[in-house]
Amino acid sequence: MAKVILRHLVETPVRYEEQFEARGLEDCRLDHALYALPGPTTVDLGKAGAAPAPPVDSAAEMPPQRGESRFQILLDVVQFLPEDIIIQTFEGWLLIKAQHGTRMDEHGFISRSFTRQYKLPDGIETKDLSAILCHDGILVVEVKDPAGTQ
Amino acid sequence: MSGRSVPHAHPATAEYEFANPSRLGEQRFGEGLLPEDILTPTLYHGYYVRPRATQAGEGSRAGASELRLSEGKFQAFLDVSHFTPDEVTVRTVDNLLEVSARHPQRLDRHGFVSREFCRTYVLPADVDPWRVRAALSHDGILNLEAPRGGRHLDTEVNEVYISLLPAPPDPEEEEEAASVEP
Repeated sequence: MAKVILRHLVETPVRYEEQFEARGLEDCRLDHALYALPGPTTVDLGKAGAAPAPPVDSAAEMPPQRGESRFQILLDVVQFLPEDIIIQTFEGWLLIKAQHGTRMDEHGFISRSFTRQYKLPDGIETKDLSAILCHDGILVVEVKDPAGTQ
Repeated sequence: MSGRSVPHAHPATAEYEFANPSRLGEQRFGEGLLPEDILTPTLYHGYYVRPRATQAGEGSRAGASELRLSEGKFQAFLDVSHFTPDEVTVRTVDNLLEVSARHPQRLDRHGFVSREFCRTYVLPADVDPWRVRAALSHDGILNLEAPRGGRHLDTEVNEVYISLLPAPPDPEEEEEAASVEP
């Protein structure tokens, strides 16, 4: 632990110090999965920490491959509050509605609403989905338990 | 006596330049993202934020609302690129300049989407709402323009007369009067 030099919070978040021990510091710096927010590729953090495990194992469960097969939606809802957003499923479709009433901003008044529809993969129900709203306004809806892990 | 205690440049008006940036980003909404659209996190006021590749950079009018208030002209740029020209309406209600737009469900590269918004600018007091002109550029930026200074800005001051109401009758006196009478 003493070897880890915290240069900047962005570069080395404290909560993942243990993972930095296991892996090279330089490796971790560009690994978005180690940051507090899910990055470009949603890699399971536990798996990312176990990277120095035998290479045979890690090749068998390459996170990117598993990620591709998963149903995942990213949506930019930075203008909306969590309570403005409704996520519904209806007959195999996923509906995401967001609406905010008139409010004041720096240029006057603004109200917005939108509805998005996605076709769910076969066999996916409401209970299989999870939604995360990150504080920087990215809504992630994804299948809770990726089929690839079973 | 000066006319106004609250200046024309009230926070709700476009002239309130003190705290308001002339350019507001992130006016596009309901945008789907692909994992590769999310860029490396940066710090914004101590928080992680992940810039999106879909966001336009500083200085661009894409995805933004921009206000320009000069001596002779009120000018606003607004990105309405999600909408076709016939889906956008611009109107003035008194000194409010309203831009509203809605589009029915359509297919984009992420799926089906329908959108609606209404943005209201408060025109400065010296802008004549009848002289507002709107033009839509090929890349979906709405340009709203109106000359300033056409209207006289003499403040109309009306001193309101304060009438004095009679004092309410004293309850004790009333009781005495009631006991004496019978």
